[in-house]
Amino acid sequence: MRRNRWGAVWAAVLCVLLCSCSTSTGYSRQHTVTLVAKSTKTEFWLSVFAGAEAAATEYNLKLTIIGPNTEEDYEAQNQMVTDAVNEGAEAIVFSAIDYENNAAAIDAAAQNGAKIVAIDSNVDSEAVSTYIGTDNYAAGQMAAQAALERVKTPLKVGIVNYDISSANGQEREQGAVDAFTASNRAEVVSVINTLAEARHAKMDTISLLTTHPEINVLLAFNEPTSVGAAQAVEQMGLSETVFLLGFDSNVDTVDGLQEGSVDALIVQNPYAMGYLGVESAYKLLIGQSSGMERIVDTSTQIVDRNNLFDVDSQKALFAFDSR
Amino acid sequence: MILKDRVSRTGLRITTIQVSIVLGVVAVILCCSILLFLNRYRNAMVQSALTSSDQAVSQVSNTVGNYLQSMEQAMSLVEWSLLESADNRNQLLEAFLTFRPDVVAVTSYSPSGKMLDCWCLDREPREVIYQNLSFNLDRARASGDAYMTAPHVESIFEGYYPWVVTMTVPLESGNQTAWVSLDLSFSSISTYINNVSIGQRGYCFLMDKQGDIVYHPQQQLLYAGLKSEDTSSLASLADGAYVNDTVIYSVTSVAGSDWRIVGVSYVDEVVNRNFREMIRLSLIVGAVLLAVAVLTSFLLSRLLSRPLRGLADAMERFETDADHFTYLPVGGTREVQELSGSFEHMVLRIQRLMTTVREEEINLRKTELKALQAQINPHFLYNTLDSIAWMCEQGRTDDAVKMIHALARLFRISISKGHELIPIAKEIEHAESYLQIQKYRYKNQFTYAFDVDPACLNYYCNKITLQPIIENAINHGLDLLVDEGRITVQVRQDGEDIVFDVRDNGVGMSDELIQSILQHGPDDRTGIGIRNVNDRLQIYFGKQYGLHISSEPDVGTCVEIRMPKIQEGDYETK
Repeated sequence: MRRNRWGAVWAAVLCVLLCSCSTSTGYSRQHTVTLVAKSTKTEFWLSVFAGAEAAATEYNLKLTIIGPNTEEDYEAQNQMVTDAVNEGAEAIVFSAIDYENNAAAIDAAAQNGAKIVAIDSNVDSEAVSTYIGTDNYAAGQMAAQAALERVKTPLKVGIVNYDISSANGQEREQGAVDAFTASNRAEVVSVINTLAEARHAKMDTISLLTTHPEINVLLAFNEPTSVGAAQAVEQMGLSETVFLLGFDSNVDTVDGLQEGSVDALIVQNPYAMGYLGVESAYKLLIGQSSGMERIVDTSTQIVDRNNLFDVDSQKALFAFDSR
Repeated sequence: MILKDRVSRTGLRITTIQVSIVLGVVAVILCCSILLFLNRYRNAMVQSALTSSDQAVSQVSNTVGNYLQSMEQAMSLVEWSLLESADNRNQLLEAFLTFRPDVVAVTSYSPSGKMLDCWCLDREPREVIYQNLSFNLDRARASGDAYMTAPHVESIFEGYYPWVVTMTVPLESGNQTAWVSLDLSFSSISTYINNVSIGQRGYCFLMDKQGDIVYHPQQQLLYAGLKSEDTSSLASLADGAYVNDTVIYSVTSVAGSDWRIVGVSYVDEVVNRNFREMIRLSLIVGAVLLAVAVLTSFLLSRLLSRPLRGLADAMERFETDADHFTYLPVGGTREVQELSGSFEHMVLRIQRLMTTVREEEINLRKTELKALQAQINPHFLYNTLDSIAWMCEQGRTDDAVKMIHALARLFRISISKGHELIPIAKEIEHAESYLQIQKYRYKNQFTYAFDVDPACLNYYCNKITLQPIIENAINHGLDLLVDEGRITVQVRQDGEDIVFDVRDNGVGMSDELIQSILQHGPDDRTGIGIRNVNDRLQIYFGKQYGLHISSEPDVGTCVEIRMPKIQEGDYETK
């Protein structure tokens, strides 16, 4: 009896030792993440993708990046979300074209078990675990403030915005309009909603400036509209008279800054959006979501001709590409 | 059986204690050696991690150094081509740019810092250059020698903003071109540095003496503010390898420049992972060794100590009870078996000797007793013969005849053809004859009665058992009594025993007297009889038999004689 008990004790000790030795060191399964962007063409989005890929490499994720052909096609986005979930995506990193109309697809994806991370532009869904991007209202205010600081005369403001149902564009517009209204010396003359595509934006801007020649401050709220507006201003020879403030970095707008057609740029941090978006998706998938912020504000920077080639501006404006 | 169980249980406990001790010692030694080994192993791992990190970094440093050297050679080629005529120069530089795709642009500057010329494949500089980050007149003047800028964006082209570093060299004075700059893209450097891996996640980066990062494999992460390197503290470190809790840094200067290569690797990865693996292995080995130790100690105990202990137990049992000991040989190794054999032999020998000694002793005592019996009779004989003589003198011939008959019966039974054991009936007859004689001698001062269970009569008893007791009762109990004395002899069965009770109503005896009667040596004449009876009964039948005297002063004495039931013929075997 006694001997049996001792035997059992020793056997238990041996078992514990052996078990502790054989804890598995196996690789965890590769997770699948799909990034559904608004566009796959602009420099802004390429930078987002670069960041997303960097994170995917770092965390060993299978990352698929897709986006619709135009920045207005929310239906295509919905289809992409549905397809991605059907194809086994465990997490969706999403930038919504339409704050409301994208919601149903996202809710459905979440119901199928996908984790949702919103970047750049949020969507009206409870399923969104975290939003990573610019504080768009503040960015709009920042843009207005920059114009108010640099233009001393009373401001006649024209706003070139993109799709009216897109959350971030509307928030920026709201921020800018509020700031202008508060200043008491600015008047928003006209707001146009054009397609997020340089050629259209240029044409619409030309017609805006033609219709409202009194406009001396022009705000464009994303990269394609900024490029289009810059081209319009240059083509109309209004570089000196119109203060153009654009969003995001593009070689055309950077050229425009040097040449005068563009006067200031609000530069977001698309690389960080992509990187943090995918990183958050990874954390959600492996269950490290505790303490995750509902909203992560990526930095925003204002660049004008004076600080164009400052080290910080260079870093914000120009993607580092060692190829 | 109980004894055996207890012994074997103790034996087992000793075994487990021994095994525990062995295990404990082995475990402690194992732990110590494993700890020592692991400590050494970890140090060795850290050392080797530092070395391999250092090696990787110095390799990168060499490669980057070579690259810079080749760039200096390229620069001298450029300098030389600048001396050529304009056409030749363009052609040469065009060819140069084709061969060196990592050179983004070649620019030349006048002593006043004005850009004189720019060569770049497929591109022309802006007509109005807003700001040229490739050339800084103040820095060029202050440097006086070739220098390298921090990374910057190429800013002289339209719609083309690659990140570059610029290498600027002053040309010999007297020339209209004072400085030449090469803008180098990171394509070459990145291949040198990106491909380096130290462990799985370790990497290298390039910084300058001030700690500004020149090239980092994750440069964009740094630029986007998602990652940072603690370059300010690294800048203050001399070349060498440094290890802290989580990271191993290895810093090496690139020869011929103010660039430095920093290798970053993770302790957790290059050291701790192997270390954990080794801990696991050590634990397995430790567990196996421990198990082997247990097994070995069990086997050894089974082979050696267990049979030896069995032998020792047997000896102990033999010591406590040699008579009833039976030896079962123990197994084990040959030596143990030999010991066991010798012990068995010895046990048998000793037991035989003991039997012999006991038999001899009993014989001796019997001889002694017979001698004592012989001693009693003459004493009694004198007194009786005196009494008979006295009766004859008085002419009481009837009484004398009765006395002589009684005396004759007494002697006949006393002798009993030399047998020690006689039927109880005979013994009663003997006692009665004696009482008769004494009654005459004491002039009817007492009466006597026999109460004998008839079933007892055919059993046997030692001869002359009752007579000494009765003699004692008369001498000590009735002699001093004023009233008439009375002696009762009762014989009864008590289970397997026969009990004789001899009662008197005499003065009784004190406890001291009883003790002295039972124990006194042969010097005391009066006591010899009773002691003799007791001794004989105990020698013949064992210690549980014999006499028991109970007495109460002025009431009387009762002597109880106890002996087993002996049938005829039984006594021959005794």
